[in-house]
Amino acid sequence: MQKYWKMAAAVATSAMLSVGATAALAQDYTITVWSGGSGPNDNYRIDAIKIAADFLEREAAVLGEELNITVEGKPYTQWDEFKQAVTLAAEAGTAPNIVVAGHEDIAAWAQSGLIVPIEDYVDVDSWPINDIYENLFDISSFNGVLYGLPQDAESRPFFFWKGHMRGIGYSDADIDALPGRIQSGEYTLQDVLVDAKKIQDAGLVKPGYGFYPRVSNGPDYWQFYLSFGGQMEDGSGKLVFDKAAMTKFYQFFVDAVAVGVTRKNHIGTPWDQWYGEVASGKAGMWHGGTWHYKRYTTKEGLDDFFGSIQFSLIPAGDADGAANTITHPLVYLLTKQDDDDAIAIAADLVKIASEPRINALHAIKSAHLGITKSEASVDLYSGDRWAREATERLLPYASAMPNNVNFGQYWEIMWGGLEGSWTGQKSVADAIADVETELRTTLGDKIIIR
Amino acid sequence: MGNSSVDVADVGGAKTRVPPTSGPKLSKLASIGNSKYLGLYLLAPAFLFVFVFFLVPVVLTGVFGFTNMSTATGISGGSYLVNQSSMLALKDRHGLDEIADDLAEVVYTIDEDGLAAAAQGKADAATLAEFRDKFLGQSFDNRRDVERAIKSLNSRPSSTRVIKAIAANFERSVLNIRFDTEEELFAAVSDFGVSLDAEQKVALSDVAYTGWVFTTDNFKRMVSLPETTKTLINTMFYVFTTLILFNTGFALVLAISTHYMESAPAGFFRSVWLLPRITPPVLYVLMWKWLAWDTGFLSVILEPFGVEPRNWMLDSPANAWTFIILINGMVGASMGMLIFSSAIKAIPQSLFYASEVDGATRIQQIRHIILPQLRFPILFITSYQTLSLMTSFEYILLATEGGPGGATEVWALTTYLKALSNYAGALEYGYGAALALVLVVIGVALSIFYLKLFDFKTLTAPPKIE
Amino acid sequence: MSGNYRQWPMILFLGILTVPLILMYVYLFVDTVTNSPPGSMIPNEFTTEHWRFLWETIPGRPSIWVATWNTFVFATSTTLIVLMISSAAGYSLSRLNMPARSFFLGSIMVLHAFPTVTLLIAIFLILQMVGLYNTLIGVILVKASLELPFGIWIMKGFYDTVPWEIEMAGIQDGATRFQVWTKLVLPQVKPAIMALGIFSFLAGWSEFILPLVLAPDNKVQVLSVYLAALIADDNNFDMALFKSVGVFYVLPVIVLFVFFQNKLMNIYSGGTKG
Repeated sequence: MQKYWKMAAAVATSAMLSVGATAALAQDYTITVWSGGSGPNDNYRIDAIKIAADFLEREAAVLGEELNITVEGKPYTQWDEFKQAVTLAAEAGTAPNIVVAGHEDIAAWAQSGLIVPIEDYVDVDSWPINDIYENLFDISSFNGVLYGLPQDAESRPFFFWKGHMRGIGYSDADIDALPGRIQSGEYTLQDVLVDAKKIQDAGLVKPGYGFYPRVSNGPDYWQFYLSFGGQMEDGSGKLVFDKAAMTKFYQFFVDAVAVGVTRKNHIGTPWDQWYGEVASGKAGMWHGGTWHYKRYTTKEGLDDFFGSIQFSLIPAGDADGAANTITHPLVYLLTKQDDDDAIAIAADLVKIASEPRINALHAIKSAHLGITKSEASVDLYSGDRWAREATERLLPYASAMPNNVNFGQYWEIMWGGLEGSWTGQKSVADAIADVETELRTTLGDKIIIR
Repeated sequence: MGNSSVDVADVGGAKTRVPPTSGPKLSKLASIGNSKYLGLYLLAPAFLFVFVFFLVPVVLTGVFGFTNMSTATGISGGSYLVNQSSMLALKDRHGLDEIADDLAEVVYTIDEDGLAAAAQGKADAATLAEFRDKFLGQSFDNRRDVERAIKSLNSRPSSTRVIKAIAANFERSVLNIRFDTEEELFAAVSDFGVSLDAEQKVALSDVAYTGWVFTTDNFKRMVSLPETTKTLINTMFYVFTTLILFNTGFALVLAISTHYMESAPAGFFRSVWLLPRITPPVLYVLMWKWLAWDTGFLSVILEPFGVEPRNWMLDSPANAWTFIILINGMVGASMGMLIFSSAIKAIPQSLFYASEVDGATRIQQIRHIILPQLRFPILFITSYQTLSLMTSFEYILLATEGGPGGATEVWALTTYLKALSNYAGALEYGYGAALALVLVVIGVALSIFYLKLFDFKTLTAPPKIE
Repeated sequence: MSGNYRQWPMILFLGILTVPLILMYVYLFVDTVTNSPPGSMIPNEFTTEHWRFLWETIPGRPSIWVATWNTFVFATSTTLIVLMISSAAGYSLSRLNMPARSFFLGSIMVLHAFPTVTLLIAIFLILQMVGLYNTLIGVILVKASLELPFGIWIMKGFYDTVPWEIEMAGIQDGATRFQVWTKLVLPQVKPAIMALGIFSFLAGWSEFILPLVLAPDNKVQVLSVYLAALIADDNNFDMALFKSVGVFYVLPVIVLFVFFQNKLMNIYSGGTKG
């Protein structure tokens, strides 16, 4: 008993002593921030921390303390090398103080002790944490503890090229009504195939461009599993593999290939080419993310986004499922460091960076969505049509991938099965059987197979 | 003075003939230079490097193959953690539902012991006094409420960290606390009031440990996955097709045809065919992508003929394999070309002239003069390149990454991807090491086989000076 | 050598097979200084815009000159280490009678069978223990070690071709074995040293996987990783830019190749006795 309390006391002592010490000397900190999957529009992931550092220094000055914080940022454009670098650096003891990663990394990294909960350093009742959307708050938690703060929110909509929809007989009113019909479940994925075929047959797009999905693995594909009624995790922390839903999900893409609206070897098309094509009307329907708005209107030079493109939830697959969208927030995470004070400073920086005004800078520049409720009333945000409409139409219906240590493996296996059936290497039945075997062998009792 | 081999003393030590005139005493260096340990000194640096960066990693890899090391377990060990997932595992794997539920409770009790500990931490006396007044004896079931209680005091501390530090003193439960050792975990659990017998302790330790453990699960998994067989077949197909078509086959073609040319065109062709080997892989594969992708050379050239532009590399498994074999083959052919060429050069000209006089055609020359001389080089290249091909994956990684849909995934590539690449950051080092181990075993077996095949002894004849 | 045979059928035959290769390399250079309209392979204008990476730093990446310097240091250091250690070890295995000789030789052959990929995580751990992860020195040591078996094998093969008489003469004249090695034998294997040196430099210059995993940081990035990251970045797909960076990357290789190809081609002639 004594031993245990001594430990707690030691923690408490060091915390209080160090806090006391801060008042006496000038404190210098270098805080490193790494972000993954960041393009040129995502600079605020790191710059927000710099802004926060300036603020924290000023607050310290007001309290009569001297604080000098240098922020060093490093954006990675890819995810693969980023995650490799973070994991290996952590093992080597050179991990950056703050990491901007996908929320799905929280589980594995928390388990191995690579990250520490931000809740150990900040008050969750304080602003702006108390203003964060509840579902985002949950997504940034693991095992009931808040590990990080959401850095941005987004959703993954379904897109239609208005010109082509008109070309197959939709009136403007019909097009406006589409999102509503999708949400109610009236317009399903089967209708997508039918309309895509019509667009192709009418010669409006080339063969294989009727339905033009994402060209590489991503959270988006789980949406189609949800569309057919699948569930990723049950409430108690176990993963779920719904064979019927997964079968219909794979079958949908196989059907798309069979009907001819999607190419068999669509996966692997270069991203640059894909963006260029969807933004210029070469595809009939496709799906993507809310940040695509920025990409289309800046880099791809699309002038009239709202006049050319209609967006909605991902349609339901059939009566078993529902229209849905997945949100894949990135989160600010704190890595385990030897210097507890540095972690505390990093925590404060992250907290300040999440304030509505600062977060709105990132949201609008990179076309992501806000993380706090009051962010919606920041002028920069509310003045942006895309931010308003997307938040309204998509966020309330968004679910997220679970924070689960084994989800990464489940995801890889799901993707393997999808790729195999889509490219025609296996029949859907074989692919599902293989997926089941692999899940049983790899995850055992950590997944429920229905 | 002829030192014939008969004179050589057949002793392990270097018995050189020290010059008869005694001269000055040999310096230390000179004595090293003459000692039987010179060989060891010369070999030592090599041995050191190879040991540290080659042998030790091999052993480590072998060890890791029997663990479940991954991003979640971390590499340098773990701690003991009672949390939602470990309690779930306690229920599923060991059936200790009640204990799991007990342990999963969170309890903060405001009692004298906690207050005393907080006082030791130099919390403000006024704060603690007020806290005692208002909250002594109360229990909370989560930390946030304790913190809110502290915040509700008049003399609340101004720093969040101090508040949290005070709250920590009252935690009585074990949920979500990382313990460095088993003993600490058990001590805390018994302090919490949950008693465990020895068997239950073992179970708890098993589910709570976050680090890696030894296990043979990797191999069980490997054996029961359908894709293992597929990868194995892919690897064998890849190795033998590339070997036969290019590394040996085309290399022969190159060597023989350049033999029949003037040195100028011969030199030109040899140089061009050496280019793939010396071009950095990243650039080399980029050039192939330029050739084969949707917007690339092939598509553009063939479009006027009505052929749809397509991704020639990834269109279908057959396409992908064709390109993979071409890419790797062109690199591999150069080594064989060089060795065969020098072997052909060693054939005396007179043989050729004589056969020409006899009216032999080129084909006959090739069959009867060249090929017999090349038997040993062909065998050597075949064995050496089998190993090289089996362990190569860089070009495949850069070109198709195993696609489309895993069609071109070979064993070495799977090893890399499993250990170092996962979309959700769930890297599986242990499983990757197990895959690597299989590759190593096959590689070692093959190389020993080849060594035997080539009469290893002739390559290691004892030196003649001794 | 061709005697009375016509050589043009051979040239034609090989020529046709070589066309794709020639095409790729020719276009490699052409595309770096020209632009073509989309959908066509015929360039219609000269431009130096693809070379702008030389004076502009692409955001998020190190300057190309930093990467070039890193690559140069990496390649040269591994070459030096490999040369020094291989020439010593090769001599020892070829000439000196020391215990367990055949064991060392055999193990070198066997070591060739080990794929780098199998050792990556373990090597990472070792580097991390000595604090050399994410440093150039660390990758240099690793790469040198992995090149050693090949280097030793080649050097030994060349040493085997040096006539015994040279050494025996040296011993009779009163030299130590060490002096015999440095003053008499080493000059004999100069071609081997050159060839191995060039080979190792090229290998170091092209190395991709090791720096990718063990030294990914911008400060220690090498050109291969730089180029690969550029290609993978889907914000900046520009085949011409990739090729220009590629040509910049491959220049030293081409230079070495043009001047030393004969030496390169001789590298295998000392090694395989039938």
